[in-house]
Amino acid sequence: MILDLHTHSEASEDSRAPVETYLKWLQRKRAEVPIDGLVLTEHRQWDPHADYRALEDKYDLLILRGAEVETDYGHVLVYGVNRDIARRFDFTNIRLSAAELIPAVTDMGGIALPCHPGRPTVGLCAHYESKPAIEGVIAVEALNGGSRRGENERVQALIDRYGYKAFGGSDSHLVSFVGICATEFDRDIGSVDDLVSELREGVYRPVDFRANLAKRAAS
Amino acid sequence: MSLNLDKSLIGSEFDHTEFPPVTAEHIREYAAAAFETNPRHLTANDAELVAPPTYVVSLRGRHFMPGNLLTVLNLRRGFDAGKDIECGVPVRVGDVLTATSTVHDIYEKTGRSGSMVFVVLRTKITNQRGESAAVIDQKLMMR
Repeated sequence: MILDLHTHSEASEDSRAPVETYLKWLQRKRAEVPIDGLVLTEHRQWDPHADYRALEDKYDLLILRGAEVETDYGHVLVYGVNRDIARRFDFTNIRLSAAELIPAVTDMGGIALPCHPGRPTVGLCAHYESKPAIEGVIAVEALNGGSRRGENERVQALIDRYGYKAFGGSDSHLVSFVGICATEFDRDIGSVDDLVSELREGVYRPVDFRANLAKRAAS
Repeated sequence: MSLNLDKSLIGSEFDHTEFPPVTAEHIREYAAAAFETNPRHLTANDAELVAPPTYVVSLRGRHFMPGNLLTVLNLRRGFDAGKDIECGVPVRVGDVLTATSTVHDIYEKTGRSGSMVFVVLRTKITNQRGESAAVIDQKLMMR
């Protein structure tokens, strides 16, 4: 099963992508971007009332929700957000403590994973140069669709040194970027609980569909 | 940059301006400058002439932002980070438009270049009947 674990819709202030337009795009690009669903990880927010079940049924794609928060070790994707997590952490705070957030989210039933670790200032690699490693990190976003040249390449050393698992996400803010990078899981995922469980214990790997799109565009 | 961002300006009104009646000449000038080709914006008679949807951004109130914005936020500089326009009823010749501007939001985020503050200035434009002609959210990125 393949999911894009890092997407932003128009609910994020820097995105212009409606969720349904993502789904329409994925339907059209099925051959080049064969993903089964996406996770909406809006910036610094969690809306407990958002409900995409009707769109899931209409487009036969899984839509899960998480959040991208900002910490003293860079940006972190939080999956399995629940009332306890949202109550304990102010997602609008751009100075959350990663050392506090990551284990606490695990304790409360979710999982928090650093994203775009190779990015300056907001990536884990930059912070590890001057600060100790964080306990409890299980995986990092080794393949980020919004990364610039060299940023994804920096992550391999981090993975080699700390033994982190690797996942991928598009970090799409525009419709045509959805699914360009994603994560392939060995097992099926049908809910956010499944996702958290698989990210913790399962087998998965980043997958890159940019070559498919480029090949199609060139033909 | 301050670690405790002062958001006290959120909700404060900093400009309220009533403009002279919209003229056909101004609509046509704006449409031509925006490379519009639709005759509704250019060659229709005055009674049927309609301003292009983005016409409202050509309206300038007396104050672009609160005079004390930089002081309150303890920031030194910024730049235009884009605007969103929610269009309302069409603007026509003779409409008397009023713009009311408030500080809609202040928030922080971090990116490759470090932390930054975004200020959203919301301008609501209504016509002489109180109908919404547009809601413009102007973003400023500051640090």
